[in-house]
Amino acid sequence: MTSLPQLGSSIDALQPPRKGFFAALAPGGGRILFALVVIGVAFLFAFPVLWVLLTSLRPASGVFYVHRGTEFTLHNFVEVLQQESVYNAFINSFAISTFATLLSLGVTVTSGYMLSRFRGPAPSVWFAIIYVLRCVPYISWVLPLFFVTRQLGIFDTYWGLLLPHVAVHVCFFSWIMKGFFDGIDPSMEYAALIDGCTRWGAFFRVAMPAAVPGLTALAILCWLYTWNEFLFALLLTSHKTPILTVVMAQFVHELGMEWHLMSATAILALIPALIVTIFGQKYVIRGLRV
Amino acid sequence: MTLSAIDLDHPPKRRLFGERQRFMLLLIAPAAAALAFFQILPIMTGANASFRDWSLHDPQMTWVGFKHYVYVLTDAGFVWTVMPNTIFFMVISVACSLVFGLALALLLNRNFPGRAVVQTILLLPLMVAPVVAAIMIRWMFNDQFGIVNVVLELVGLPGQPWLAQRWTAFSVILFADIWLWTPWFALLLLAGLQSLPREPFEAAAIDGASHWRVFRYLTVPMLRPVMVVCIVIRAIDAFRTFDIVWTISQGGPARSTELFSIYAYIEAFQAMNFARGSAAAMIGAAVIVVLAMIIFRVLNRWAEVSK
Repeated sequence: MTSLPQLGSSIDALQPPRKGFFAALAPGGGRILFALVVIGVAFLFAFPVLWVLLTSLRPASGVFYVHRGTEFTLHNFVEVLQQESVYNAFINSFAISTFATLLSLGVTVTSGYMLSRFRGPAPSVWFAIIYVLRCVPYISWVLPLFFVTRQLGIFDTYWGLLLPHVAVHVCFFSWIMKGFFDGIDPSMEYAALIDGCTRWGAFFRVAMPAAVPGLTALAILCWLYTWNEFLFALLLTSHKTPILTVVMAQFVHELGMEWHLMSATAILALIPALIVTIFGQKYVIRGLRV
Repeated sequence: MTLSAIDLDHPPKRRLFGERQRFMLLLIAPAAAALAFFQILPIMTGANASFRDWSLHDPQMTWVGFKHYVYVLTDAGFVWTVMPNTIFFMVISVACSLVFGLALALLLNRNFPGRAVVQTILLLPLMVAPVVAAIMIRWMFNDQFGIVNVVLELVGLPGQPWLAQRWTAFSVILFADIWLWTPWFALLLLAGLQSLPREPFEAAAIDGASHWRVFRYLTVPMLRPVMVVCIVIRAIDAFRTFDIVWTISQGGPARSTELFSIYAYIEAFQAMNFARGSAAAMIGAAVIVVLAMIIFRVLNRWAEVSK
């Protein structure tokens, strides 16, 4: 964390006089150009979101000429919050994201540990299965998944969406977790085994705590992913379990072109994600350093 | 070590699995169960369907062998439009997101006032639901009301019917995809950059190496392993992209921007031929599995050469 600014400044201190294009980006040389580049890039990245925000503040009559109007209103937010489906969708999405994150991490941490710590045919086969399944396109299993969840009687319930989400994450997360455990020296676990710890004890008490930064990073990414996921939610839920992304899409697909309401809901949906990101980004960057 | 002592007292019963194997199995059991029920079982259902005559008015579901596969593989649209589109989309999307993501990671790795705010703004695409972003981008490129045409006309350029022409529609889709995924690359590469050792950079600074040479001969080679993982993961995901394309163009105009997952979806649900859609999905899956192995091999060699 703190090593980087130090690294930058120590290099800067040692630098001979700069020349060329990169010199222009450096502090001292062309600060203004640098600032302009940064502001331009940030603006480009923020623009679609700014546009959603602007649309959400316009009355229904103004959404076709968002750039021209001067009337602004907060009425869209009030209207959206009064709809029961939106309110339920918020609760459902929050519950699904949180539980899917906990379940996926719980399931994959052991699988990644196995991939990292053992050699031989079993881990190789497991890795091959994961790698191949990771490649299979969603489209070829989401459609039959609909029938499968029906058969199991969990269609349109929390479980019917949670468990497929866990299945999605198994492949990718196991792979990433393997990386985390590869970066942790196993000698502590051997020491624990010699001292009479069971294999499970060594895993839970020694390896897991060392992997917590990585787990935190994955938890944040997983939560954001599930919060924003659309395809599964669309196909595997119905009226009983409305999900936020589906409700938002319905504003402009089924109920006519209610851009203002969709935008207002999208801004409300962005708030939890923004909070998670603002507080979580340093843990993500720290945790993903392998 | 302690095990041998225990084994002397209690001669081991012959078991199918040793203690180590049982531990390994238990570790992967929950993950394997989730995969078996919610991925392998549906894939098998789809694979089974692709060999049958699975239409709504034929409850018999007669076995027809490779009929649907032959149909898809001899469909000129699939071979000459859908597959080239998919490969083209994958290459451009991954290449651009990688380059931009690396640039952003290098930017965020510097220390400047307001860095935290800029970083949060650059991560915005990760926080917005892709479907909402895609709806909004489609709206921005609307030929009558979209802000893009308004700005173009303001500057004096003619507005484009963006989504009514093949290559402009494809560019809009690519723009949306690159916008969505650049922050993801930036985040992973930034984490990679911050875990690099300091010493080589200090040595280079003392030797007076230029920024370009530091980047070319130090940063890129040392980041290669992270880049390989990013590229492989993203290439697979880009190959099977569905929701952005579906929201922005629905494969149109005239099925010219279809990727293979859109093709499979249209065959399955709009042409009401679930079997043919499944066959198309299976072909796509086979292609990406082979491609992913080649990519992994090639990139792995490239990454190891640097060591």
